[in-house]
Amino acid sequence: MPENHASDIRIGVFICHCGSNIAGYLDMEALADFAETRPHVVFVQRNLYTCSESGINEIKKGIQEQDLNRVVVASCTPRTHEPLFRSSCAEAGLNPYLFEMVNIRDQCSWVHMQEKTDATEKARELIGMGIAKAALLQPQEIILSEVQTRALVIGGGIAGLTASLSLARRGYEVVVVEKDQALGGMLNHLYKLGPQMQAAKELAAETVQKVNAHPKITVFTRAHVTQVKGFIGKFEVTVETQSGAKKIDIGIIIVATGAQPLVPEGLYGYDGKRTVTQFQLETMLAKGLDAAVRHVVMIQCVGSRNDERPFCAKICCQTAVKNAILIRRQYPETKVSILYRDMQMYGVENEAMFRDSKAAGVRYINYDPADPPQVKADKVGVYHPLLGRKMELAADLVVLSTPLLAREDAHETSQLLRVPVNENGFFLEGHVKLKPLDFATDGIFLCGSARFPANIREAVAQGLGAAARASIPLSKGSVEVEPIISVLADEDACRGCGLCVALCPYGALEVRQTEKGRKVHVINVACKGCGICAATCYQHALSINSFTDRQIEAQIDAFLTVHP
Amino acid sequence: MCTGRLDPAIVAKAFKKGLDGLLVVGCYFGDCHYISGNYQAQAKIEMTRRLFEHIGVNPQRLAFKQCSSGEAAVFVEIVNTFDATIRELGPLGGDGDAVRNPALSEKLATAEAVLAGEKMRWVIGKKTPFTTSGNMYGEIFTEHEFNRAIDMIIVEETEVQEILGQLRQKALSVAELAGSLAIPPARIFRYVTALKRKGFVALEGISGRSPKYKLISQEVS
Ligand SMILES: Cc1cc2nc3c(=O)[nH]c(=O)nc-3n(C[C@H](O)[C@H](O)[C@H](O)COP(=O)(O)OP(=O)(O)OC[C@H]3O[C@@H](n4cnc5c(N)ncnc54)[C@H](O)[C@@H]3O)c2cc1C
Repeated sequence: MPENHASDIRIGVFICHCGSNIAGYLDMEALADFAETRPHVVFVQRNLYTCSESGINEIKKGIQEQDLNRVVVASCTPRTHEPLFRSSCAEAGLNPYLFEMVNIRDQCSWVHMQEKTDATEKARELIGMGIAKAALLQPQEIILSEVQTRALVIGGGIAGLTASLSLARRGYEVVVVEKDQALGGMLNHLYKLGPQMQAAKELAAETVQKVNAHPKITVFTRAHVTQVKGFIGKFEVTVETQSGAKKIDIGIIIVATGAQPLVPEGLYGYDGKRTVTQFQLETMLAKGLDAAVRHVVMIQCVGSRNDERPFCAKICCQTAVKNAILIRRQYPETKVSILYRDMQMYGVENEAMFRDSKAAGVRYINYDPADPPQVKADKVGVYHPLLGRKMELAADLVVLSTPLLAREDAHETSQLLRVPVNENGFFLEGHVKLKPLDFATDGIFLCGSARFPANIREAVAQGLGAAARASIPLSKGSVEVEPIISVLADEDACRGCGLCVALCPYGALEVRQTEKGRKVHVINVACKGCGICAATCYQHALSINSFTDRQIEAQIDAFLTVHP
Repeated sequence: MCTGRLDPAIVAKAFKKGLDGLLVVGCYFGDCHYISGNYQAQAKIEMTRRLFEHIGVNPQRLAFKQCSSGEAAVFVEIVNTFDATIRELGPLGGDGDAVRNPALSEKLATAEAVLAGEKMRWVIGKKTPFTTSGNMYGEIFTEHEFNRAIDMIIVEETEVQEILGQLRQKALSVAELAGSLAIPPARIFRYVTALKRKGFVALEGISGRSPKYKLISQEVS
């Protein structure tokens, strides 16, 4: 199939000054003159701001009056402005994928502010390449795919349950898969929750009761997900339940598998009796502390912020302060000291709890990780930097504040869902700021301690957030997919060998039996257009929309001729 | 689009058209939105560098580096270092390369054919399974073993493509091919027999006592 009829191509080039952001550093006239010399270019215009209303109108006018059928904008970054320019083209009746953007701000005027001549030269090259590609662009249609309005939530802790309730209340069916016997997660093992000091069991019971009572929610306990096929809107999930395996059609998935506390084997004489973790202390407090305990020493950052685990688990300081206050209030005779490196008490409420603890008589001593505290038979030795000497604190009970770690099976879950984990084994969001509760893979979301140690407030907020994000495709009932994806451009050439299938990171390719024999099939909705398949196929049967071999080669040619 | 889109055949073609250097900068492994494309890019660039070295292009003209979008200083360092390397090497086919122009251009045409061909693309596509879970017999290759295999395939595939290149111009006998390509006749004979079996070449006729072979057009209609 020919990519175009060269004679009909009419390209308009709009070069943006971006105020003085671009025009202050490049020779704009030279760029416009150059653009006019390029093949198929019939219209060139410079705009003060191409993205302003008047700039947009100029593009539309150009399309209508000059009969443009390809538009190139040389301006800023496509990350922020491509959607705008594309939709402007569409409004003027031009297929939005006949638009090409060239970034002469970030890549030229900004990074080469002091080198006008060279920066202008680079901009010429980039514009030349953009025009060459534009000439070969083909119209594309946005892909629509249906969404099954049932959600799967993996993990029945407070984050997962909050998300489930939120989705169910919006009218969507929810399936909760919890591997434990009971719902509630970590809450089932805690005593009181800081900073409000609510009983953990109460919050758990209240939430679980609402979940169980909700007609839209189905709960499977002592269950786990064994297989996940498909893509956003059409996942086919197999759940191993107490009554056998079940296949369920799912539209979106939320990962809320939480985290588990580090057991500090071999650290500070940990024995689970006199030297325990905060996690164990919660149970001890629930039962009531032994009357003989008069001196409690807590040590922070045990097993974290070291070479092996460089991260700060962020909630252990809150836990220690909370438990110190609880001990001081319930056992006024008992003294509590907290040995810390830095106190991580972010937020107004935590800060207030920190102040309360001091008022309640909790003592704080800073320690240096190079000279850590020594746990002895009935004492803890520590260097006091303010007093400038070693101290020995009496200690009947030593409590180690250990970090929450990624679940042991997080890696398996990650492989099952084809979503990434970070270097510490926690699930990795799509973007730390722009997509904190989404995975890069569409239709899969995350919340709570599965993402990173969170307190209840954060776990709840994230559960609500993930439910809100997940509601977008659920409420639309369909997803729109960017058509810049892989296509089987030459079906006859494909031998159905499956080399590309094995390499696809998104499971977006499969070999199907067709009338013409075994042929690869692209699952449009799952494809992200990375291009590995096209770059690997030895039959050159696959191509990527808007990044075809011919388009790439045309750009290379333009680069080599613009600047011989 | 991702660095995984990088097609080595297009890379060789770009050099043939006059590129002096190509720097590919991708994400760090395990830290990419496209998940595994950067592994593919690295494997493909590495293989292309080996092929370049074999045909006489200085492999330093091609590089795969990694940095994150937050590491401006690292990126600048990578670009400046590469720029300095290429300036030092000078234009392609000059003092910086083992083979000079115009012979190099022909070599690059051969390289393009090798990189577009079935064998190289198959092997490189299978690199990850070969080096992690093993081939169909369950044998796992070390990086070193894999590269040795690649080097062998490079030598063979280059010779095969050179033979096809010669036959594209006119029908030739084994002796004539051996003469113009400086490859021992026995090896030429082996390649030609294999090419005949796969339907790439056919007997054209006998001149004197030696058979002449011609190319069969591979156009798919
Ligand atoms: C000692 C300690 C004290 C704390 N004190 C406080 C406090 O005072 N105040 C406060 O705000 N926060 C506190 N926290 C933090 C609080 O526990 C967490 O914020 C909260 O539990 C996070 O909820 P979650 O749902 O993300 O994870 P979790 O509570 O860990 O729940 C995850 C659930 O997923 C299940 N699961 C895991 N993997 C799978 C799988 N593969 N398949 C199916 N199910 C799976 C688990 O069984 C679990 O039920 C404390 C934490 C600790 C460790």
